[in-house]
Amino acid sequence: MKYDSDDALDRALFALPLEEPPADLRASILSTTVYRPAPLFKPWELVLLGAIVAVMVWLVVLIAMGGSTLFAASLEKAGSTLVGLLSNVATLAWIAAGGATAIWLSIFTDFQSLSKDAVTRGR
Amino acid sequence: MAMTLGGNPEAFSLLVARYDRAVYHLAYRTLHDVEEAKDATQEAFFKAYRSLRTFKTGAKFSTWIFSIVYHACCDRLNRRKRYSNEELPDRADPGAGPEREAIALDEARRLRAAIDALPEKYRTVITLYHLQSMQYEEIAEVLGLPMGTVKTHLFRAKEQLRKLLGVQGVAE
Repeated sequence: MKYDSDDALDRALFALPLEEPPADLRASILSTTVYRPAPLFKPWELVLLGAIVAVMVWLVVLIAMGGSTLFAASLEKAGSTLVGLLSNVATLAWIAAGGATAIWLSIFTDFQSLSKDAVTRGR
Repeated sequence: MAMTLGGNPEAFSLLVARYDRAVYHLAYRTLHDVEEAKDATQEAFFKAYRSLRTFKTGAKFSTWIFSIVYHACCDRLNRRKRYSNEELPDRADPGAGPEREAIALDEARRLRAAIDALPEKYRTVITLYHLQSMQYEEIAEVLGLPMGTVKTHLFRAKEQLRKLLGVQGVAE
């Protein structure tokens, strides 16, 4: 058969069936997406774990290097720095401002997701 | 799509069920290799699933997923070029060349063989336009080409296709 006109060629092309995919294609797509097992740790949990491990390593190194004296001195210094920071009015004001912003943002985010849900339900 | 974006995983499986065949088809027509087409399809859906948050509301999922799979195919073709001295059309399934086999095949297979013999850029355009009933705008978006180029490619693809089929018609 010859395809002299554009229409004849178009008709023949549109009539072509799609390629038959391998039988296990859909299953393999779903197993790598929707049914993929959740990771053991969330990113923030990994960060927290990493921080805890780092602090522990630091403490072990301190104890190993200077015995209990250096450890106690470091702990005392860290404690006094923390107390110094928390007794500073400006620092407390900044912490309060940060907390308020975080709460405000979380309320705003909740509101957004609620409105998105409402739109989805509306559809 | 709205349900998928709302975090419903079952909704994504519906999208997979609706588009996996078309996506595979585009991958296979571009790559000419069953295993690679399967991998590219899987990769495209995985990327789409992972980047659902970047999906623009109001856009068409089909255009988005076709674009992802097309780029995945391009990466694979580039890798082939890098690691092989063979010309790309030589990667087609053995024996599927229009000159050798198409004469004896039915009309659909003859057409497929002719499409396979087109250069990659024309083959993709014709696959997207005709086999998936897509509009020029969507093809341009998927391929990242200006609309004028898409129209030119389509015109030339048809021209070459007619030429190939004409040659085979004479041989018949």
